[in-house]
Amino acid sequence: MSEANTLSETQEQIAGIGGADLVVGILGADETHSAGAAMMVRESLGALAERPKTVVIHNDGDGAEAAADDSFFVVRDRTFGQSPTVATVESVGAAYRSLFAAGSKLGARACCVVASNLQTVTPHWISQLAQPILERNFDLVTPCYDRHKFEGLINSGIVSPLSQALYGRRIQNPMGPDLACSKRLLEKLSGAANDPNPMMPLVRLAPEAIRSGLQVAQTHVGERVYPPTDWVNLSSVLAQLLGPVFTDMELNAALWQRVRGSQPVPTLGEEAHLTESQTGPIEVHRMVESFQLGVRNLQEIWGLVLPPASLLELHRLSRTPAETFRMPDSVWARVVYDFALAHRLRSIRRDHLLRAFTPLYLAWVASYALEMESGGEGVEERLLRLAREYEAAKPYLISRWRSPDRFSP
Amino acid sequence: MWEQARQALDQSWARLLGQFAALLPGFLAMVVAIAASFAVAWMLAALLHALLSAMHFDQRLERGWPSVSDWSPHHSPALLVTRLAAAAVLIMGFLIGISALDVSLTYDLVHSIVGYMPNLMGGVMVLLIGTILARFLSRSVLIGAVNINLQYARLLSVGVKWMVLVLAVAMTLDHLKIAPGIVQLAFGILFGGIVFALALAVGLGAKELVSRSLEREAEKTPTETAEEPFRHL
Repeated sequence: MSEANTLSETQEQIAGIGGADLVVGILGADETHSAGAAMMVRESLGALAERPKTVVIHNDGDGAEAAADDSFFVVRDRTFGQSPTVATVESVGAAYRSLFAAGSKLGARACCVVASNLQTVTPHWISQLAQPILERNFDLVTPCYDRHKFEGLINSGIVSPLSQALYGRRIQNPMGPDLACSKRLLEKLSGAANDPNPMMPLVRLAPEAIRSGLQVAQTHVGERVYPPTDWVNLSSVLAQLLGPVFTDMELNAALWQRVRGSQPVPTLGEEAHLTESQTGPIEVHRMVESFQLGVRNLQEIWGLVLPPASLLELHRLSRTPAETFRMPDSVWARVVYDFALAHRLRSIRRDHLLRAFTPLYLAWVASYALEMESGGEGVEERLLRLAREYEAAKPYLISRWRSPDRFSP
Repeated sequence: MWEQARQALDQSWARLLGQFAALLPGFLAMVVAIAASFAVAWMLAALLHALLSAMHFDQRLERGWPSVSDWSPHHSPALLVTRLAAAAVLIMGFLIGISALDVSLTYDLVHSIVGYMPNLMGGVMVLLIGTILARFLSRSVLIGAVNINLQYARLLSVGVKWMVLVLAVAMTLDHLKIAPGIVQLAFGILFGGIVFALALAVGLGAKELVSRSLEREAEKTPTETAEEPFRHL
């Protein structure tokens, strides 16, 4: 395998191409799957009405020469070397920024990113993401994955319902990570002279599109392979992800305080109905234990963040046996809002704050898992109900955001 | 002879009175300096308090440096700053007053006090940084230990806090040159004691943890060892 380009070499190569209609970035293409990545992109172009001039950027160019021609270019960039699922927020942010910069430089009409494990990615993914931008004038296309009930839990439990409540658009995966955006959106993103939230450009996409009145859609792409849980580093993952989300919330406070309710966004493609594989009885004791340990030891920290009513509710919950352990959605939504507020107020060091959130998140996961195991409700209905609770609790957030010093029972 | 003795006594009395009279302006100056410093300290304290209250100093500091309020009078860092400023003015007034006596002894006293000031300031800084660091590390350890499910998270956190505090106090006393030999010995005993206690506690706790973990491993059924279904990212 030949060495990937340095940043300056990549920029030179991009400058040499001149312009393009479509830029596709393949993040985290490992040795097993990268060889076919360029061919896969080329294959996906067949589904488009007109074949666009395309530039593929990824970290491995083996086999790319066979795919390249005068309207199809392959550029290697070493910042794309790690999948977002294993890399740090900084490196993921750098890869997305590098791709968006390349898209802007080439004047591309659409910029598409595939960041999931390539094991299940098909040419259909790329055409589904890019087509609405190139042919239907959308500005941001986010993915709808075929949902398993216990996958993508940070998105399902926090990011998606929070985004829906704040910005009023029902987007299943507002932070991708696979997505496509238009030239207009790229211009808006690069328009900010000093990016106040440079760690994670993904966080800014949906709010910026909504703020600018651009067209947002989501599209069914299929099943996604999620990375296995790294329990030891879960608090770091949560902190790295929620930090930028809360920062963006602070920056867009004027926007989301005006939004009431939520609307669906156009959903394209056809949903595949998955049958959940049998995984045997789920094990939530460890998560419940972690929460109980948090209740016993993190009172002084949670006490700086949460109002007495929430603390009381958490105390009550910690005494509930694991079998009947249920965290009400209203409590969970308020806890997330209170942590976002404490992040803004810097009630305690932000890193401590975000890491102290982990036992609470595990409590929600345990409660959700037990509820889903008991059956009766589908994953979509369950998450819709959660998102509604976030919306219902929004006046509480607005009230506390505007008057943080006022006593809240 | 009696006449000579009487004359010697008179001269001695006159010398004493003369020396005392020579000291009087100095005493007067000292009293004035101290009284003036009291007045200036009082005014400065009132002004500072009003200013810091208007700036919501306590609330601002509580967000950034919560540990400062712990050892402030009435948990008010503004009050602490006010009192420190007033005390500084009073000490300065006292030193000016003492030096006004113009006696070599008072000069030496003032000289040694002023020479000691850097040590005092350094000691205060070491103690302040130590307290803040102890609180920061204690919180970090507590949160980290809870997140990896350690039952003795609180013990670890308290242990780390006291280790840093003991180190900071020992460094401060050493900096102030207060009984350095005793401080070194006491620090060694205390620090070693805390480390030993922690090692024992964690070691004994871990022993139980390892045995529980092995028991769980042995009791695991095939369904329990199946791949975990939860995916967070």
